[in-house]
Amino acid sequence: MAGRARHMAERPEYTEIEHTADVGMELTARDERSAFEKAAACMFDLVCDLDTVGDTWREMVRVEARADDLQNMMVRWLSELLYLFETERVLMSSFDIVGMDEGVIRAHVAGEAFDPGRHAVKAELKAPTYHDLRIEEDGAVWSVRVIFDT
Amino acid sequence: MAGSHEMRRVSDCVWEIPKTRGMRVPGRVYADDRLMRHIAKEKAVDQVANVAHLQGIVGASLAMPDIHWGYGFPIGGVAATDPAKGGVISPGGVGYDINCGVRVVASKLTHGDVRDRIPALVKQLYRDVPCGLGSHGAIGKLGRKDLDDLMVEGAAWAVKKGFGTDADLDHTEEGGRLRMADPSKVGKRAIQRGLDQVGTLGSGNHFLEIDVIDEIYDDYTASAFGLEKGGVAFQIHSGSRGFGYQICDDYLEVMQKAVRKYAIELPDRQLACAPVESPEGKRYLAAMACAANYAWANRQVMMALTKRAVAKVLKSSESALGLRLLYDVCHNIAKLETHTREGREVTLCVHRKGATRAFPAGHADVPDAYRAVGQPVLVPGDMGTCSYVCVGTGAAMRETFGSTCHGAGRVMSRAKAKRAAAGRNLEQEMSERGVFVMAEGKRTLAEEMPEAYKDVTEVVDVMERAGIAKRVVRLRPLGVVKG
Repeated sequence: MAGRARHMAERPEYTEIEHTADVGMELTARDERSAFEKAAACMFDLVCDLDTVGDTWREMVRVEARADDLQNMMVRWLSELLYLFETERVLMSSFDIVGMDEGVIRAHVAGEAFDPGRHAVKAELKAPTYHDLRIEEDGAVWSVRVIFDT
Repeated sequence: MAGSHEMRRVSDCVWEIPKTRGMRVPGRVYADDRLMRHIAKEKAVDQVANVAHLQGIVGASLAMPDIHWGYGFPIGGVAATDPAKGGVISPGGVGYDINCGVRVVASKLTHGDVRDRIPALVKQLYRDVPCGLGSHGAIGKLGRKDLDDLMVEGAAWAVKKGFGTDADLDHTEEGGRLRMADPSKVGKRAIQRGLDQVGTLGSGNHFLEIDVIDEIYDDYTASAFGLEKGGVAFQIHSGSRGFGYQICDDYLEVMQKAVRKYAIELPDRQLACAPVESPEGKRYLAAMACAANYAWANRQVMMALTKRAVAKVLKSSESALGLRLLYDVCHNIAKLETHTREGREVTLCVHRKGATRAFPAGHADVPDAYRAVGQPVLVPGDMGTCSYVCVGTGAAMRETFGSTCHGAGRVMSRAKAKRAAAGRNLEQEMSERGVFVMAEGKRTLAEEMPEAYKDVTEVVDVMERAGIAKRVVRLRPLGVVKG
C-alpha cells in the first residue's frame, strides 16, 4: 500500500482558472503518477468538497489511452472517472495509480455513494476538454492545467 | 488574456477579423462598442479566428454578440462548411450538451391568475421535474428498446408515451427529430448514461422558469405567435444530459484519430474534426442526431411534467389553462441545411455552438402557423432580468446562415461570480426583484447571478440593429427552478 500512503499525504490543492464559461484547474505534482492522481482528486474537489467524501466504496479502474500522448491519457482518465461518478453515483476521494504502461492506467480508487443531502455540489462537470490542456514536466515539477465543460 | 487578432469595424454592429495565419475565411463578430469591450478582454476572438482554419468553411467564421470564451469554438459561434468541398464537421462546434435548447410554453393565464401562486408553482415544479447534478428518475428507467426508439423518434417518442400531443411536434425545430439518427453509432457508455435521465433538467445554466410577457414590440408577429401583454409563459432550458456528453466525448476520440488520418492541421485540439462525407463524419452525424433527438424527447417530457404540475397547483386542466408549445429551438447543433451561396442552392453543414436558428417568413422549415411571419427565436436572459422572443429575418439567411444569438452570454468567470456572491443571500436578492427562486446547488445560484451575464437586451439590440432577428415580446421572470 505504499502508493496509497503516498497519495494520502497529498491534498487536492489547485488554483481555479478564471474561465468565463467553464471551470478549470491548475496544479503541480512531483511526478507523473502524482500528477494524474492529484488531477483526479482536484477534479472531484471541484464537484464537491473532498473533506466531506469518505472512502467506503472501492474499485479497480482501468483506462486505455494512447501511450505516446499524455494529453489523451489525462482526458481519458478524467473522463472515465466522471463516467463512473454518473453511472455508479459515487464521489471519489482517493486515487492510487498502480500501473501506467503502454497507455494503460490501472488505479485503486476509493470514494462513497453520492448523497445529495450530505454532499454539497459545487459544480457539474460535463467533461474534461483539450482546450488549453497542459501536462508538462519541468525538472522535478509536473504542471497540469485542465478546463472542463460545465 | 486579450485576443491577439486585429479587429476592423465594417459597419454599425459588425467587426471583421482579417484573414491571417492559416485562416481560410475572415472572422465576423456582431457587437456594439460596449459588447466589443467585453469580448476583446478574453480569448473568444482568437477562437473565432481558430474556427476560420476549418477545412471547407465558407463565408466567414461568425460570432454572435453573446460570444464568450468557450473551448474549441467560442460560445456564440456559427460556422458553415461545404461538404462537397471537403468541409468538415467538428464535435467541438456542437459542444458536449448536444441540442441544448429552449422551449417556451404559452398559456391563457394572466399575471393576475398566478401572482399569489408563484412560490407554490415553483415548489411543485421543483418536486416534479428532477434537477441538479446527475438528476434522474423522472419517468422510470428505460429499457434498451425504448431508448433505441427514442434515439430515432425524438420528441415523437415522448408524445407516443403520453407526454404531449402531435401538435407539439409541429412547433419544434426539425419536428423534434433529426432523421439521420442511427443508434448503432452510439456507444455502450452513452446508452448507460441515457437510460434514466429522460425528463430531467440537469445542472449548470439549465432552468425552468415562469414568466410574464411584459412588453410587446411587434403587435402583428406577437399576435401570430398568440402572445399578449400580461400573459404567462414557461421556459424550459436543457439538453441531452449525460447521453449527449458521452457521445461528444466518444467522438472527440474518433476525431483525434481522423485528424491524423486526413492530415488536418488545427490550432486547437478541441476543434478535432473529419470531412462531413468521410466515414468518421457520417458516423458522428448519425450519433449526434441520436443525442439531438434525446434532447427533444427530454424537453418534451419536461414540458408535460410542467403542464401537469401547473394544472395541479392551479386546480385546473391543461386545456383550460391553454398550455401550448410556442416553439422549441436548439442552440448547440450541427445540421445539413440548404442555403443560397453566390446565387446557387448548396447543402452546408451549419455548426451552431451557442447560437439559434432564425429562419425568415416563407421558409419551408418554419411551421405553417408561423410561416407568414417567421420562426420564433427564443433568447433566454439571466434569471433576474428578462428573456426575449424574437423572429428570424431574410438578412439572417443572407449573412449568418439563418442564425442569431442564444442568450445573454457570460461576462464573469464562474470563479469570479462565486467570489462576488460570497456573503450575499442571492435568493433574497432575487426575491426583492420579484423573482422566486429555488436552486438545487448554492454554487449554481452564485454562478448564474444576473451580474455574471451580459445584458441580454444589449445582445438582442445588436442583432436587431444588424437586421438579423427582430424583437417580438419580452418575458420577465416571476419564478425560477435552477439545477
